[in-house]
Amino acid sequence: MSRLGIFVDRKTLSSTEQLNALIRCRDTAEEMGHGAEFIFPVDIRKIPQVDGLFIRARTDPMNITYVASRMAAFSGIPVIDDPDSIQVCSDKVHMYARLMHAGVGIPRTLFISHRELTPGRAREVFEELGSPVIIKEPSTSFSLRVEKVEDPVALLQVARRYFKLSDWVVAQEYVESTYDWRVGVLRGRFLYACKYIIPSQTFKIQDSVNGHIVYCGVESVPPAMVPPAVIDLGVRAGQSIGNGLYGVDIKEGPAGPCVIEVNDNPSLEGGEDTAYPHVYRDIVHTLLET
Amino acid sequence: MPHGQLVSEPLLPGESLSSVQAQARRPILRAKSGPALSRESIHTVERDGISYLVSENYSYKSEAYYAILMQETQGLRVEPGTKAILDAFVVPICLERARMDGIPVADYSISQSCIPAPAVIYGLNYFACTSHFEVLGQDDSARELVRHVTNNGKYPFCSQCLDAGARIERAVSIFGNVSCTDPAFAEMAAGVWESFRIPLVEIVCIRGPGGFKLSSICPVRYSRLTPGEKELLSLYLSGQVFL
Repeated sequence: MSRLGIFVDRKTLSSTEQLNALIRCRDTAEEMGHGAEFIFPVDIRKIPQVDGLFIRARTDPMNITYVASRMAAFSGIPVIDDPDSIQVCSDKVHMYARLMHAGVGIPRTLFISHRELTPGRAREVFEELGSPVIIKEPSTSFSLRVEKVEDPVALLQVARRYFKLSDWVVAQEYVESTYDWRVGVLRGRFLYACKYIIPSQTFKIQDSVNGHIVYCGVESVPPAMVPPAVIDLGVRAGQSIGNGLYGVDIKEGPAGPCVIEVNDNPSLEGGEDTAYPHVYRDIVHTLLET
Repeated sequence: MPHGQLVSEPLLPGESLSSVQAQARRPILRAKSGPALSRESIHTVERDGISYLVSENYSYKSEAYYAILMQETQGLRVEPGTKAILDAFVVPICLERARMDGIPVADYSISQSCIPAPAVIYGLNYFACTSHFEVLGQDDSARELVRHVTNNGKYPFCSQCLDAGARIERAVSIFGNVSCTDPAFAEMAAGVWESFRIPLVEIVCIRGPGGFKLSSICPVRYSRLTPGEKELLSLYLSGQVFL
């Protein structure tokens, strides 16, 4: 019997679905004959005592999850998400640079430094990417600091706001779609797939519309109904990041499927795995039995 | 391994057991020669096929961080690495990495509520910077300080116990050299350089009955360098001192 540590942050436990998902993970480990315990930030010193660590909290190199992941790595303990994956996926500049280097298809993408952004450069960005342009603050999650801009003036305004948080921002070609594919990848292999149905009021999977948060719908899709090109692209994107657990967001654009982003710590509490009941077993097996 | 430079820089008064912003009390002076160390300027020193990038701000998502990242992505050899930068400026990770590399480090714990005082505490959150730490005294302000560092208990913090008689000391390390005469600091700076390969950092240590131990390392603004430190850095940048 091995011991699984599930790292959680109380700030993460904001919904019943999240709590249920954590319990499902713990129950799965126990059904497989392993022990499982929740580890909170103040328990980080317990990490060397577990045999595998599964981080279920919002990851970022600047928060406590990275400390937990790095501590596990220092101790040679298998960890999802591993520090490299957190570092790459939490920073969209890093993530897109990695995908571009690996030849994985993404929308046309530019990195803009605060040192080079002038009205002239903003016009060039539109000439290169077309209109509208998507601007992303590199460490945004849940599309919080992602905006669609229609002209260079708006680009300058949004970018200057984001430069308070990062010296570089991402400018990206807009790819219109009514849904995103989410392909789950574990250790370089296909794990699950679902569709995130984008709310009609917005272009993001989550947004604030007239003061109300609107969420995407989630539709778990059996493997036979997922286009092979989408699965292939998702797996290649995951492999280009590392050897962990990833949720790859893919849009089917006019030029074929392209990766919108690769997420570490992908959500599993919204019904993403309904058609894939083995997901938690695969994760526990990966951490404790390989 | 580099040795300490013997440029006198006495400890500044009031550094022990008080709330300090680590870089706040250094005089602003100019270098006598060498490349201009203007605000946010980034410099490169090439040695043996490795680019050493010198910046006053290596923080996550900074211009220097991305300059390094782009070189790493292209497979070029560059120091410091982005991983070393992330490790260096998150205190528990910094201490763990340093400890594994044989550097004496302060005992620490991670907490979200009150801890035994006196102690030095560092925030662990998106906006925390190691250059800003607090010293928790045995008085009524302790609870308020913890509330401040944790944003009302929202974020955890890293605490290091201060034994009786312990004091916090700081020195700027330039390619592993310090400008003070203290051999303990010279050895510490050399060890930190070997471990993290960050050309310009401030090293924060606790000197006490238990010895001389690393507390944290933090970025340092060019404008806060002493004349001796600026001169030393300029010598490296102009190639007059070899690594």
